[in-house]
Order: sequence, then structure tokens, then C-alpha cells
Amino acid sequence: MKNTLQKLAECIEFGKINKAAPFPPQMKGEDGADELTQQALADGIESQEILSNALMVGMERVGIKFRENKIFVPQVLMSAKAMSTSMIHLKPYFDSGKAKQKGTFIIGTVTGDLHDIGKNLVAMMIEGNGYKVIDLGTDVNAEKFLEKLEQYPDASVGLSALLTTTMVNMENITKKIKEKYANTLVTIGGAPVNNDFCQKIGADFYAQDPQAVVEFLNQKVA
Amino acid sequence: MITTDKLFGKTLIEAAFKREQVARVPWVPFVGVHGASLINSSADQYLKSSEKIVKGITKAIELYRPDGIPVVFDLQIEAEILGCKLSWNKDNPPAVIGHPLTEGKNLNDLKRLNKDEGRIPVVLEATEKLREMYPDIALYGLITGPFTLALHLQGTDIFMKLFEDPGYVSELMDYCNNVAIDYSSMLMEAGCDVIAVVDPMTSQIDPDSFSSFVSPYVTKLFDHIRQSGRLSSFFVCGHAQQNVEVMAECKPDNISIDENIPLDFMKNIALEKQISFGGNIKLTSVLLLGDEIDSKKEAVTCIDLGGNNGFILAPGCDLPMDTPVNNLKAVSDLVYDEYMQQVTRELEHSSVIEPLDLTGHWLEGKAVVDVITLDSGSCAPCQYMVEAVQHAASDFKDKVIVREHKIRDKKGLQMMVTLGVKNLPTICINGDIKFISNIPPKNLIADAIQQALRG
Repeated sequence: MKNTLQKLAECIEFGKINKAAPFPPQMKGEDGADELTQQALADGIESQEILSNALMVGMERVGIKFRENKIFVPQVLMSAKAMSTSMIHLKPYFDSGKAKQKGTFIIGTVTGDLHDIGKNLVAMMIEGNGYKVIDLGTDVNAEKFLEKLEQYPDASVGLSALLTTTMVNMENITKKIKEKYANTLVTIGGAPVNNDFCQKIGADFYAQDPQAVVEFLNQKVA
Repeated sequence: MITTDKLFGKTLIEAAFKREQVARVPWVPFVGVHGASLINSSADQYLKSSEKIVKGITKAIELYRPDGIPVVFDLQIEAEILGCKLSWNKDNPPAVIGHPLTEGKNLNDLKRLNKDEGRIPVVLEATEKLREMYPDIALYGLITGPFTLALHLQGTDIFMKLFEDPGYVSELMDYCNNVAIDYSSMLMEAGCDVIAVVDPMTSQIDPDSFSSFVSPYVTKLFDHIRQSGRLSSFFVCGHAQQNVEVMAECKPDNISIDENIPLDFMKNIALEKQISFGGNIKLTSVLLLGDEIDSKKEAVTCIDLGGNNGFILAPGCDLPMDTPVNNLKAVSDLVYDEYMQQVTRELEHSSVIEPLDLTGHWLEGKAVVDVITLDSGSCAPCQYMVEAVQHAASDFKDKVIVREHKIRDKKGLQMMVTLGVKNLPTICINGDIKFISNIPPKNLIADAIQQALRG
């Protein structure tokens, strides 16, 4: 018999939002992330434990399946939606400081670039793995990153770009961040960039998929 | 089998689409906003003016000698008319920033396209004009694939709606496909030979979702193009390997892919499904950021993998605006020159070659002439160049030492790398590159030797 946290991890993995949700068909009529999170809290399970032993477990499976081309963007978005449904119930505990997140991650698509699908996926995966995520949106310049870093000096930064013409703006942003915060970790990702480019511009890590960012942060920050 | 060695342009493309054996691989550079940079315009001005588009494509045809070329590469034309807000850029096609179906509009409020709306007149005018100017070149008319158009209209919500409201997504796809059918008819009427259905967003979904939500519609679209007597191509970019097979089952005449899908993988599926295929010269790392040698090497790798039955050489996707002209010219030169292809194959491994230590190679008071060749025994231009140098050198007796370095062996390759030679054949005198490719007349070689002797 699966316990509540195991069931919740499966809801995250397969994107089961609540009992009424039609997706996925094999879980039709069963409790979803919404019900199970409330049930876990009512059973007296700590919010920290729900995050670590259910949400993070589910999201990690999602990250790996995405990396292995077993699932694609739509499935990841369903999982993310299930997770944020769960987070609504947990948020009060994190806000009050009763439960702790692993660290803070500031993310944005760089100046001139309006593409956000990849950036959103990364943001969701990082959040699902226990970090506080500050999403600055698209077309974000160096000043906006610096402003947030002033507020969260221990945060790491993620830069995204889809266009060959905007990837060059990553260099400028990375330089400005490193000038002021030499120890801040900067990760980059997006279709046109690669590891060579990452090294050339002085960023710390090039991530080929969202799970790679999670693994990098877990190793360096958590 | 017909050997079609005299074919070029449209007829060559048609032969390749029919998977006939061709003597030369056809070449289709995807010139979009790159056309703007060729005429010193900005992307936003270019994409709004048929006159500028015609000028840009004319320039591209002069420079790159393509067999086929797109008239316009902009996946926002239909979306703009249907109410998507655009953000215009100087160096990129515009980006969609507003999605009408999430901003209070209903699917029923959306109309079908009209010939005189938005920038359609610009595209049709440019197509008609180019058709008149270049009757022999295949003109590609690009349309937004229905899934990408649906994403423009609905935003990323559509991904979740695949599961939460599949009936609605089917309706939306049907509408977007009808828009595509209408626009394809306009482009064919204006003179396009090939309709390219560009649907990059399908790279984000799995094969099952593709079969349920994309296949039924685009299959109709490709049927429509076939019934109109024109050719069709399905363009996808990004990590779309998982969908290549289901794409091929929609019965396009051709599939064009980018570097994220291995060309040999694509070729196997194309063979199995009996369609033509194209791609996938690396856009960023090679064409945009690499040099001419990188571009030639990459192109010859694609040509060798693609083969002469049904393959069309093309960049992975829309060329970045500032792609160096010389890189694209290098690809074009290579396409037309089998000998250059052979040389480039030999060069394949030169990047890992260690340079030579040339101490003792130079001799005081003498001119050392190094001729770098493929092999003067088997390559006519190399042979003439070596002979020309020997002829010119004979007047100087023992003051001049002539050495041929064949890059067929490792030492020859090392010499080429050490001297910084990038084209074959090349003449270096005392280590300086003096003559490239063309065989100079005797007196010019003699003058250069004389100069070297004077120091």
C-alpha cells in the first residue's frame, strides 16, 4: 500500500492536479496533488518533508524522463501545474520560515529576447526541487539582475536565450554580474548556446536541459 | 535511371524531390532577414517592403547561386493579421508577444485570411516579381505550420490544453490548418514552386500528441498542395527527432531538419517512407561563428551523408541576419565544384594536425617556394601550378628551392597548417602566402621570387 507521500510523488510525476482532472487517464477519479497535500498536512506531516519526500521526488523523475526524451513539454507543464497546486498549501510554511528552501535562483531571458518556454521549464524544475525561484521574465537586462542580486546576494543566476542575435547579450550580463558579485554562479542555457560559448563569456555552467541546472545547483549550493 | 547532370535550379529541385539520381546536390540557402543585411537594411524595414525583399533575394541569388530560395522567412505574417501583437526588431524577424485567444477573443471571432490584409500583399508582390525575374529558380513560399500558429494564437496554454481540453485543441488546429491552406493557395497562385510548412513548435511535443493533434490536419494541407500540382516541404527545427517518422507519414514531399537531428537518421526514415529530405548545415557554430573552411567542411559532410538521391543541401533554419557572406559563398562554391569537395574531404582532419617546426627549412640568401597541393599527379590545377613555379624558378638556378607538399599525407597537411594555408593549391615564398588557387603567369611568380631574394 502506497503512503500519501508516495502517491503525491506520483501525482507530480504524471501531472495529476486534482481529483476532477481528466489527465492522466490512468489516474481518473483518484485524488490528485491538491487533495493529497492537504491530507498529508492534516496527518501532521511537516511541510519540509512533503517538499523533500514527495514534490522533489516527483520532479526529479520528471527531469530525468524529460532528459531521456520520454516525455516532452506538455507533460512537464502538467507536472509543474500539479506541483504549484501543491505549493499553494505549503507556501504559508515557507513564508513563515518554518520550512526552508535550499537556496535562491534568479532567472530571466536576456535583453532583446522574448522567448520563455525553456526559461519557464527551468524555473519550474528548480522550484520543484526545493529552491526559491525569482523569475524576472523576458527581455531582462543586466541592471535588473543586479537589482535582484542586491536583495538576494547569495542567489545563483540563470540566463536564457533562443536567438543567435541575443545570445551575445549573455556575455555582457555575465560580465556585469561577475564584476560586482564575483562568486555568484551564473548558468546559461538555450538553443544556440553551448559549453564553448559558456566558457568564452565566463559563465560557470552550460545546462543542456533543466535537470542539469538542478544537479549543478544541488552540487554547488544546496 | 536518368543521369540528370545538366539539371539546375527548379528542375534539379524537382528531380531531388522525386528522389531521382542527380549529378549535383541541389542547394537552397534559407535567406530570410539575411537578405536585409545584404542590402544594408534592417529586418523590420525589409519585411515590410516587397521592393526591399526583391532586392535582397536578387543579391542572394547573385552571391550564392542557389537552386531554390525562400521569398520570405517570417512566421508571424498570418499571426499578425489574426490579431497577435508583434514586437519588431532591427536584426530578427518580429516576435509574437500577445496571444488573442488568451486576451478575451474566441475562436469564433477569428476570421480567415484575405489577400489584401496585413503583409500578404508585400509577400505576393515580391513572389510575382521574383517569379518573373527568375523563371528557372525554385521559389519557396513559407507558411506558418498549424501547430506553431495555434501557439501564436493561444500561447503556451495550448500545451496543457492538449490534455485538459483536447476537443478545443482539435477545433483550433482545424482552424489554423484552414488558414494555412488558404495562404498556401495564395502563394502558389503568385508563383511559388514549393510550399514549405514551417512548424518548429512541434519539436516540443511527443509523437502521440503529434499524431492526435497535428497529423490529421497537416496531411490535408500536403494533399491540397499536391492536388494544386506543387511540391511541399515540412520544416522543423529543434530537438524533433522523436517526431520525424510521424511527420513523414503526413506525406509531405520533403522534410527539412536542423543540426539537432542527425542527417543519417533523417535519411533512413526518408528512404523508408520514400520522401526527399534536406538540411542541416550548422547555423550558429559554423555558418555564423565559423570561417570559410569550417563552412566547406560542414557542407561536404552533409553532402556525403545526404547523397545524390533525394537530398537537398540547406542550412538548418532561417539564416541569422549577419551570417558572413563569405561563409555562404564558400558553401556555394563547393556545391558547384567537385574538385573542391575532394580537397575539403582531405582537409577534414587538419584541425587536429600538429604544426611543424620549420627550423632549417629556410636558407640564407635563397628563396624557398612551397607549393601546397592536393596532389599534382591527380589534380590538374595543382599540376599546372607546380609546373608554372618550376618554370619561373628555373631562371634563378640554385637561388630558388621549390618544394611540393601534397596534403594526401600527414606531413603535407602539417605543412599546410604551419604555413596557415586555407585553399589549395597555394604558393608560399619564404613562408608568406603569395598566390591562392589561380595559377599566376610566369612573370608574376618571377617578380615575387625576386622580391623575396632582395629580402
